[in-house]
Amino acid sequence: MSLVTSDARKPVRGPELMRLLLTNEFGLLLLIVVFGALFYSVSSGFLSSFNLNSMSRAAAINVMIGFSMMAVIATGGLSLAVGAIGVCSAMVCGWLLQEIGLPWPYALVAAIATGAALGAINGMIEVKTRLHSFIVTLATMSLFFGIMIFLTQAQTYRGIPASFVSFGRMKVMGLSATLGPTLVVAVALIVLYNFTRVGKEMLAAGAKPQAAMLSGVRVGRMIVLAHAISGGLAAIAALLLVARNGAAIPSMAGQQGQDWLLIAFLGPVLGGAVLTGGKISVVGAFLGAVLVTVLSNGLLLMQIGDFWLQATLGATLLLAVLLDLARRKFLERRAQ
Amino acid sequence: MKRITTLLTGAATLTVVALGAQAETKVAHVPGGPHPFFADWEPASIAAKEDFNLGAADYKFPQKWELNLQNDLLESLVTQGYNAFAIHPGDPVGSVPTLNELVGTGAPVIAVSACVNDPSDVSFCLASDAGASAYTGTKHLIEAMGPGTRKIAHFTGWLVEPNTQLRIDGVAKAAAEAGVEIVQVIADIDAPEPAEEKIGAYLAAHGSEIDGVITTAWVPAVVASNAMRRIGDKRIKMVAIDHDEVVMNAIRDGFVVGSMLQNPYGQAYVAAFAADKLLNGCEVSADAPFTSHPLTERFIDSGAPYVDASNVDTRADVDRAMTEELIRKVEADFLSCN
Repeated sequence: MSLVTSDARKPVRGPELMRLLLTNEFGLLLLIVVFGALFYSVSSGFLSSFNLNSMSRAAAINVMIGFSMMAVIATGGLSLAVGAIGVCSAMVCGWLLQEIGLPWPYALVAAIATGAALGAINGMIEVKTRLHSFIVTLATMSLFFGIMIFLTQAQTYRGIPASFVSFGRMKVMGLSATLGPTLVVAVALIVLYNFTRVGKEMLAAGAKPQAAMLSGVRVGRMIVLAHAISGGLAAIAALLLVARNGAAIPSMAGQQGQDWLLIAFLGPVLGGAVLTGGKISVVGAFLGAVLVTVLSNGLLLMQIGDFWLQATLGATLLLAVLLDLARRKFLERRAQ
Repeated sequence: MKRITTLLTGAATLTVVALGAQAETKVAHVPGGPHPFFADWEPASIAAKEDFNLGAADYKFPQKWELNLQNDLLESLVTQGYNAFAIHPGDPVGSVPTLNELVGTGAPVIAVSACVNDPSDVSFCLASDAGASAYTGTKHLIEAMGPGTRKIAHFTGWLVEPNTQLRIDGVAKAAAEAGVEIVQVIADIDAPEPAEEKIGAYLAAHGSEIDGVITTAWVPAVVASNAMRRIGDKRIKMVAIDHDEVVMNAIRDGFVVGSMLQNPYGQAYVAAFAADKLLNGCEVSADAPFTSHPLTERFIDSGAPYVDASNVDTRADVDRAMTEELIRKVEADFLSCN
């Protein structure tokens, strides 16, 4: 599924099959298959049930992190604070479970609400100050994380109910059950951006803010909403990580949550999202994150060091951005 | 003749089957992250592979001290065919689900140099009793400071590290028993930059107000040993932990009173031995004499000898003797092999 706003959407002539083959999503699927075959040829354990479970669990989290960034990219912004928001939400969940003794479904809802609220704060600051989201979220990343460390004294919350932790370990048809929430969110996002007015208004606000405003779209509100959705999704990603680890750990996303940033951008950008806003692909972001997971897992199996893993992922991001640029130029030429 | 031939053929077949049943052991030694304490794990892996005729024994570490990275690494090691694990858990609770998963694949898992919280599926925890070691070290410090009203500072490791809180409690207990005041606990400094910054700043500002320093993590021990040497007057007494050469030299030169050892080489070596046995038919003895530990009921104390000026030059002998005693103890008392 690819969503393009009216300014960029131009009919592409040619056979339907050719159109399908030229889509980002098909390209990503092909790459996943090619890399999967390559890694399987190097290590037969790549497709073992243990590894498929591990990979699907990692993919579930990576996809959700990618969705979190995608929600902001849709309006032409970005959020450096997705990791910090995710960790803050997870720590709130841990605190509610361990210190307050709240039943875990309520704690999960409260954690997601916390993530959405922190995201909304980002959006409101961006709208009120008219600063770029890069600056706003760079500041709030440190702010949110710092406050969380101060309040929790960097303590890990380990009183996570066994039923919640066992969900993180559960398998369905050989794959991790954590893929379930990720698929539900993916469907919800497809519906949001494809079939609801608010979703389309968010994309319109990202594509041409002035034009959207003239059309009656409340751009500021859409930006705040996009950040709130992003925060909520970051919280869900962090909760999946809590289910995996069995603990809410302040360092779960690295220092200030920065370890999430590369994966957060890779998924949506590989998936065909335009960084200036207005065009995203939920399925593309999903497949992009899966590709990154396959690459990470395969390189680990090949015992390639972390430095090279990061370098490979960084190069992949750069390549994806360059391809995105080339694709847009190509579309512009076709439109003329 | 025919009967003898049949018997010999049968015996040969049984031998082949028995040998075939012996799994080729591939042990992975995995710490929570890169740290000088684990430097001895690599030579221990190499020695264990040779001495115990293992298929492989490798030292693998995540690039950062981060639970997710350790979990990812452990999962990939299973896929790579490792079937026995000696692991320093990244988190006493957060590591448990992943370690249980490893055990679920049939691989024995031994927690080494730090334990995980019960309940877990790990075979046992092989480590120095961090709390007892900190307690004993503090007792040595108090003795070195002599009688009177004394004030000490405690420099320790990462709060997420399973042993840190146990060490803080051990020091506090010894100080309380002797009426010594702990004026400052500085934690989360088991890396050069924060340790240099915080220990340097503290000693510059408050060095004159304390009589002793206890360190219970590797890097703070090294940094504080250097600080004691720089201060130079030997008024502040210090007891360290582990065996970094900086600490050992400071003991030789009288700037540090002594250090509590942990023998990481021996822990890793013995863990590989036990993991191999457990993979190949042995079990943890039902009546194994485990000792009590705040985190687990399956704790084997690998010992924590005290080294000071009197025995600092024979430390290697101390470690060797500890390792030999530990392997004998594990085989005789904790494993049941039929």
